[in-house]
Amino acid sequence: MIQRHHVSALVVSAVAVAMAAAASVSFLGHSAMETIVPGPGVKDVRMLSDWFPALAGGAGDTEVYVLSGDEPGGSMLVLGGTHPNEPASFLSALLLIENAKPDRGTLYVIPRTNASGFTHNDPQEGAPTSFSFTLADGSARSFRYGSRATNPIHQWPDPDVYIHASSGQALSGNETRNINRAYPGRTDGTLTERVAYGIAQLIRAESIDLTVDLHEASPEYPVVNAVVAHERAMPLASNAVLGLEMQDLSITLEPSPRNLRGLTHRELGDSTDTLAVLLETCNPSQGRLRGRTDEALVLSGKDASYMKAFELGRLYVPFDGDGISIETRVGRHLATIGELAFALGMEKPGRDVEIGGIPPYEDLIARGVGAFLSPVPAADRE
Amino acid sequence: MPFELILFLVMVGVFVVGAFVLKLPVSLSMMLASLAALLASGNGLGIRHLVEGTFGYVDTILVIATAMIFMRAVQESGALDALTIVIIKRFRRVPALLLPLLMLVAMFPGMITGSSSASVLTAGAVVAPVLIILGLPKASAGAFIALAGILGMIAPPVNIPAMIIGGGIDMPFVGFELPLLLLTMPLAIVFSWWIGLKKIKRLEWEEIAPRLDTASYERYGFRLFLPIVGVAVLMVLGKALPSIFSLGLPVVFLLGAAAARFVGKRFSVLKASKAAMGDALPVLAILAGVGMFIQVMTLTGVRGFVVVSSLSVPAALLYVAIAVTMPLFGAVSSFGSASVLGVPFLLALLGKDQIIAASALSLVAALGDFMPPTALSAIFAAQVVGVDRYSLVLKKLILPALVVVAWALLFIGFSTTIRGFL
Amino acid sequence: MTYVYLAICAAVLLLTVWNLWTEKDWRKQCAAAMVAIPLLLRVLLIK
Repeated sequence: MIQRHHVSALVVSAVAVAMAAAASVSFLGHSAMETIVPGPGVKDVRMLSDWFPALAGGAGDTEVYVLSGDEPGGSMLVLGGTHPNEPASFLSALLLIENAKPDRGTLYVIPRTNASGFTHNDPQEGAPTSFSFTLADGSARSFRYGSRATNPIHQWPDPDVYIHASSGQALSGNETRNINRAYPGRTDGTLTERVAYGIAQLIRAESIDLTVDLHEASPEYPVVNAVVAHERAMPLASNAVLGLEMQDLSITLEPSPRNLRGLTHRELGDSTDTLAVLLETCNPSQGRLRGRTDEALVLSGKDASYMKAFELGRLYVPFDGDGISIETRVGRHLATIGELAFALGMEKPGRDVEIGGIPPYEDLIARGVGAFLSPVPAADRE
Repeated sequence: MPFELILFLVMVGVFVVGAFVLKLPVSLSMMLASLAALLASGNGLGIRHLVEGTFGYVDTILVIATAMIFMRAVQESGALDALTIVIIKRFRRVPALLLPLLMLVAMFPGMITGSSSASVLTAGAVVAPVLIILGLPKASAGAFIALAGILGMIAPPVNIPAMIIGGGIDMPFVGFELPLLLLTMPLAIVFSWWIGLKKIKRLEWEEIAPRLDTASYERYGFRLFLPIVGVAVLMVLGKALPSIFSLGLPVVFLLGAAAARFVGKRFSVLKASKAAMGDALPVLAILAGVGMFIQVMTLTGVRGFVVVSSLSVPAALLYVAIAVTMPLFGAVSSFGSASVLGVPFLLALLGKDQIIAASALSLVAALGDFMPPTALSAIFAAQVVGVDRYSLVLKKLILPALVVVAWALLFIGFSTTIRGFL
Repeated sequence: MTYVYLAICAAVLLLTVWNLWTEKDWRKQCAAAMVAIPLLLRVLLIK
């Protein structure tokens, strides 16, 4: 017998299903991978599963771009997209892949270190799903804005407390899906820990001399516009900082804290022979004090709320009406990578990596990121 | 007037009209408020944002839903009545000891799970009937277990707001045990006496016995308690040996519920589960609504506006700002308050001992669980003790809440001195 | 463990929908629907 409340139940259910369906279109679309156009330096595109086969075919497997010069030398690994909600990290790796051309040594670039994190947004952050650039030829390319952590549909549930495997350190449960708390990783762990293990394996197998992990931090975070270096990497990092000062780019040098475990600059430095450093720029679109959250904020970095916070003395970086644009942030990362590569040659003669073609800081600011992106070949367009 | 302020007023206005004028449920009012802000800010219907916001609480929803099913099963099996009998029989003559003991029992699930709701709904539901039989008015019993809920949530070993605050500045959750014990245990003892000592009666067993349902206890005996003991053991093992017993609370609660089916009075699992979900749904829906609300606040810049406004008070008034804004924002959710306000406040508290300051901030954030309209802890407590209007419980919580704030601020103010003693 | 949790999620979803359809008050039906949406999308591994 159909009763009155069954009619309202039907209506309510229909509305709920419609809402779920509308949201699903956006959620499912987030898995569509953006195109990367390999540049002149790319000699090979491999998968992380080449170094840790258990990752093959899963949500954690990710592309590794190998750029090498004609002359032998050292090797360097750049990790982009450790946190896919820090867009300058992915974009810097992307610009290396599409523009850089090593003359000596080998440069490995992983643009989507946590590939799963690119397939969703963090709840309650209101982040845009993507951002785009106009290229010199008038075409546009768009890239996903992701989450700080692995997608729960790939790794769930979180424990109440995340115990870092090799140290026993306790962290909030949701950090289980943060790959930069999972190093050096393990073979029988969570997806995130297995990806971390794959990266450590790559470093061991290829005898990577220098590993650079790219990040962004909010303007109210104390470690911002900084190089964080493992103790073995301190001399190299301080040379790079000097080099940046010659370019009028101020950056602080922080030693990797010994008691903060699971991070690249600590664990990769401890468990492999690589010199491990982590770079931070300043991204207003991920901070807690930000105003309206949208694509414009991601790209321009202009935010009235942060201007007020700066006037109140709450920030660790100057913040004015010019904002901190994506060009500034990517430019800083690329300039630092260039200085680090240069410093590697002084640190380990014979193991140097000389990289040409990196978009210079001033050019990026003047011409924009779009000027350094290659048009997507017609065959790869949807 | 900044646009963000206008949007904030729109959200609050729509919420108030929905909840108080149209008498809609709190959850629905929050969704409408979020929808209004989406439209007013030019984000269209923003369905993606509404749905995405709810995902911040999917895990919490599962914990509360399964905790409710477990409690219902324990109740149906006759174990709650039996536990009441045991506690009263043993300790009725020494209230000064009995009350802190009951407080500790009521805090226990919160200490282990980090959730005040879990505490109130599980151990709170055991302790409240005892208190009522011993002579406490229902509202006082509700206040007792509501306080146990937030103190349990803040007491070690698991304190989620402190973890959230620590996570925001890359501070691992290490070395918090002692400061958190010092912060919560004195309050637990004082509050248990404050609420209970004057009202509690020294009763003879013969006077009380007729008012208790002794049949199940006489028939089944200690085995009635096995599900509760089992759940407690699994919770402790999950904390002590997380690498082996990492079942997670929902599984633990469901195992307990399944066990309850076999140790005492028989009941229909399906019907009990459905009824338990019926009880839980209003609160689960509030969580979903809160998720939408925070997502839209963040999207539209209202969150940033609220945070920067809170930080813009002069340094001298920083403590006042903490005392006022953190519990207020807790009306949205105490975890939200820890995340949105706790982190910037900790950064503003330069020169303080970071662990002690973060611990104290987590306690202030926890008070959000008393703040209407969500007031999770108070609503559940009222439900458990059988009071129709949770405002009756809330009234009893006002003074203790002020004491909690003062105590937490003392810890912040003297954090370096306190560190010296630890 | 993932499958156990998906099963729990599905069970809680079914209980929610059951309550939605037996509930007489449309306002409470709406509240149930708000809870059902995220559970449904998690069970379907969409979000």
